[in-house]
Amino acid sequence: MAQVTADERSVLEEPAPPATAPPQKVSGRSWPRTVLLAIGALLFLFPFYYMLMASLQLKPDTSVRGAFPTSGFTLDNYRSINGRVNLVQSLVNSGIFTGAVILCTVVLGLLAGYALARLHFRGRGTLFAAMLLVQVIPFQLLMIPLYVMIVRSYGLADSYLGMIAPFAINATAVFIFRQFFMQLPDDLFSAARIDGAGELRILWSIALPLVRPAVLTAVLLTFIGPWNEFLWPFLITKDADLQPLAVSLANYISSVAGRAANPYGAILAGACVLAAPAVALFVVFQKHFTASDIGSGVKG
Amino acid sequence: MLTTVLGRQPLGLAFAAPYAVFLVLIFAYPVGLAVWISFHDYFFTAPGVAVDRPFVGLDNYTAVLGDPEVHKAFLNVAVFLVINVPLTVVLSLVLATALNGAVRGRIFFRVCYFVPYISASVAVVAVWLFLFSNGGFVNQLLGPLAPDPSWLINKGLAMPLIALFVTWKQLGFFILLYLAALQNVGKELYESAAMDGAGKLGSFMNITVPGVRPATTLVVILSIITGANLFTEPYLLTNGGGPNGASASPVLLMYQRGIEQGNPDTAAAIGVLLMIAFLIIAFVNKRFLERD
Amino acid sequence: MNMKKTTTLGLGLALALSTAACGGGNGGDGGSEATSATGPIKIWLSNNPEELAWGNKMVEAWNKANPDQKVTAQEIPAGKSSEEVIGAAITAGNAPCLVFNTAPAAVPQFEKQGGLVPLDSFADGKEYIESRTGDAATQYQSPDGKYYQLPWKANPVMIFYNKDLLKKAGVDPENPPLSTYDEFLDTSDKIVSSGAAQAAIWPAPSSEFYQSWFDFYPLYAAETGGTQLVEDDKATFNSTEGKAVADFWATMYEKGYAQKEAYKADSFADGKAAMAIVGPWAIAVYGDSVNWGVAPVPTSTGIAPEDTYTFSDAKNVAMYSACKAQGTAWEVLKFATSEEQDGALLEETGQMPMREDVASAYPDYFKANPEYQTFADQAARTVEVPNVTNSIEIWQDFRDDYSKAVIFGETDVDSALADAADKVDGLAGQ
Repeated sequence: MAQVTADERSVLEEPAPPATAPPQKVSGRSWPRTVLLAIGALLFLFPFYYMLMASLQLKPDTSVRGAFPTSGFTLDNYRSINGRVNLVQSLVNSGIFTGAVILCTVVLGLLAGYALARLHFRGRGTLFAAMLLVQVIPFQLLMIPLYVMIVRSYGLADSYLGMIAPFAINATAVFIFRQFFMQLPDDLFSAARIDGAGELRILWSIALPLVRPAVLTAVLLTFIGPWNEFLWPFLITKDADLQPLAVSLANYISSVAGRAANPYGAILAGACVLAAPAVALFVVFQKHFTASDIGSGVKG
Repeated sequence: MLTTVLGRQPLGLAFAAPYAVFLVLIFAYPVGLAVWISFHDYFFTAPGVAVDRPFVGLDNYTAVLGDPEVHKAFLNVAVFLVINVPLTVVLSLVLATALNGAVRGRIFFRVCYFVPYISASVAVVAVWLFLFSNGGFVNQLLGPLAPDPSWLINKGLAMPLIALFVTWKQLGFFILLYLAALQNVGKELYESAAMDGAGKLGSFMNITVPGVRPATTLVVILSIITGANLFTEPYLLTNGGGPNGASASPVLLMYQRGIEQGNPDTAAAIGVLLMIAFLIIAFVNKRFLERD
Repeated sequence: MNMKKTTTLGLGLALALSTAACGGGNGGDGGSEATSATGPIKIWLSNNPEELAWGNKMVEAWNKANPDQKVTAQEIPAGKSSEEVIGAAITAGNAPCLVFNTAPAAVPQFEKQGGLVPLDSFADGKEYIESRTGDAATQYQSPDGKYYQLPWKANPVMIFYNKDLLKKAGVDPENPPLSTYDEFLDTSDKIVSSGAAQAAIWPAPSSEFYQSWFDFYPLYAAETGGTQLVEDDKATFNSTEGKAVADFWATMYEKGYAQKEAYKADSFADGKAAMAIVGPWAIAVYGDSVNWGVAPVPTSTGIAPEDTYTFSDAKNVAMYSACKAQGTAWEVLKFATSEEQDGALLEETGQMPMREDVASAYPDYFKANPEYQTFADQAARTVEVPNVTNSIEIWQDFRDDYSKAVIFGETDVDSALADAADKVDGLAGQ
């Protein structure tokens, strides 16, 4: 990502992206497209809107009118979370857990994805099959053996490492890296190799800038997993000081829901607290998801 | 000589090594144990407890294959995939293409599509329960058109609704994948197509669709994986695969048998069958989509 | 009875000694060495706020008196996932010493895993349990005659009704006719047809294995005068009584008096249902928000309240074999279930300690909360889930057949019960 110069950034931040859309179609004719997107957005946002509204209500109301409340707003649902959960400590734990997973995935997973896509070596087929397999094995099948192994053989109960271990390199992210490296034209690589560039340099300076949106997408995917994961960190840590936000909130939800005046308000308030940092991060980074330009990549 | 042993680019081994080591350290033992369990009469015990775990051959598999609940669960997932996969591919590609152009409020739209994906399942499920229950928002909107029995307790609608839910929840991610893929489809292709007089639809079908084919493989395989691992939705949205197992999934059965009921042997057999079924589909699909 | 007690005790002791002699077989560290060891221990508490408040105070009081044997309390979820967590911890060997949230239905499985310490291994174990709980304790004995759980607290379930809604439906709110099935159906009809509430009663119609504990089982216990679902490794419910109960519920669902879709929140609190099947905790929860009354569960012939049985909905305490300082754990267990701590639990949570004659033990509490008397009387006649192998699978199979026939009316009730009984016989006999 060191390749992004200030110059490129300004290009990327222009409203019209550099790729695909032919310029003559940009202006007036994009209305149907906007309408399509708006309808879709409405469908997507409505449940979330509903969630936010319900989390602000004292009493649940399932009627149509109940979706558009005009009164009865309260922050009680949020206040009680704050009273029961150590938000700062939980956030720090979530940050450590998620951050470590992202770091491992980006560094080690990227290398593996590149090797799987672009390098011919012994055992590539096996590794690819193993990668697919790992994704499809349901966690419910592995949970207890995995837990026994990590706790008993590796002695990692009540530790960050034990929490991180099974998530360390996200298989789906490796798969995404591989698919995107495969999409790049062969000429690019052979030309660079003829020029005498080493593989690490090809990966870093040529391939990576081209697949930057994919890398970000994979980071996002990697982020969501540990961020929302409840069962595993809970199994590993009984010590409340080590538990990430998702676990604290799940505990909170299971202990208050059902008896609160607005049980769904309590659940949804918990969910909003959990989702808020993720949404914020996404809003900050969203423009980079399409920011890529083949030309600048080749130059680098 | 070295090339034949290590392959043409042995450096690949070094690149892939950390990942391979990770797989061996973390997954080899549990996966191997799961397969081993599926051939034995097995249950989990506390350390130091000696019990007999006789080899039972294919007994667990025959038990599972002869179980109507299991048939139903696999069939349910087939229904899920038939609805979810095409819908996911088409919607995410169309929406990604639309989002890739210059549209007013692009950032807003992207955030919209993305929000369900990052929200924790337990919460969005709660919202859908509100929306699709008998007296819920959707039925009140539909009035007399509301299905009877209502969505979540209707044998014919429970699974399709789950498929819709998952499509909705995951779409934002797949849109991002396609957006990323679209960046590498050369714009000069569109320009020359436009010069040749191709319409929007034509260039979409002839340039965009083939241009993002590796991404499509990815989307298809990832949504099949989601389907194969379907658990949270039948567990929470239809309260344990209801009505009467009409929305039960193999993983839900594994959970019930293996963890709730303490029969990890039959659960492991279901898991192994699921893996085999997936691998067959994945490789057929890879052949089909990646042929060139 | 006394004879039997002493022989079982003797047998328990002999077994405990023999395991110790063999250097620990079943249960790993079991045996007298571990059972007398003292030291710091860990316990798990259910995470609902009231129990947590009680638990933390209890631990504090213990730690103050025993600084050399410190107890550390941690929370586990009260809901579905607690059994997963405990099961995994047993397998990994890092379960805590005591879990104050062990479901009786899960005990056979934990026991099979070798995860539990039979409390009979303590010299005064059996005697303590039986003197604290009385005759009801025997329901918690495992098939081998040992106690792998201490019966701790019960929530005997009864019918709660909303007086305001009954009044609206034209039913006498002070003495609603609810004792026979005919009366119950008639009252339900009035509630629903008058539009007073969407449902007369709304038990969760979903397929989780434990849901039958709150619809079929209490009525079955009442109808049979206290028969468990499985006795002597045979299903008991494929009988006239079982069919009567199932037919009753089938009519409730068919006529729309009970809803086939799970209500997302609390149907009783929200006024969507005029009745509910609840335990004494309901008094604290609905206390001021609903104008309620309480009645025993109905029976076909209207058995008198003082003879009506119901489901106990108990949560127990078990000791886990990974525990090193089992001597301390046993002392803590006795401390936590002492008359004083039980009183504190009742005060804090409104859940009923499983003591013989709760009402006379805590006269002040019952004077202050007269409504508890009804539940305390009921507590004397409760039926637990059967303590048999494959317990959870049995309940799941039962639920699946029940759901098809009774809730959704897809199959015939008689053949569904016969089918379930067949499966259960096969499982219980294993």
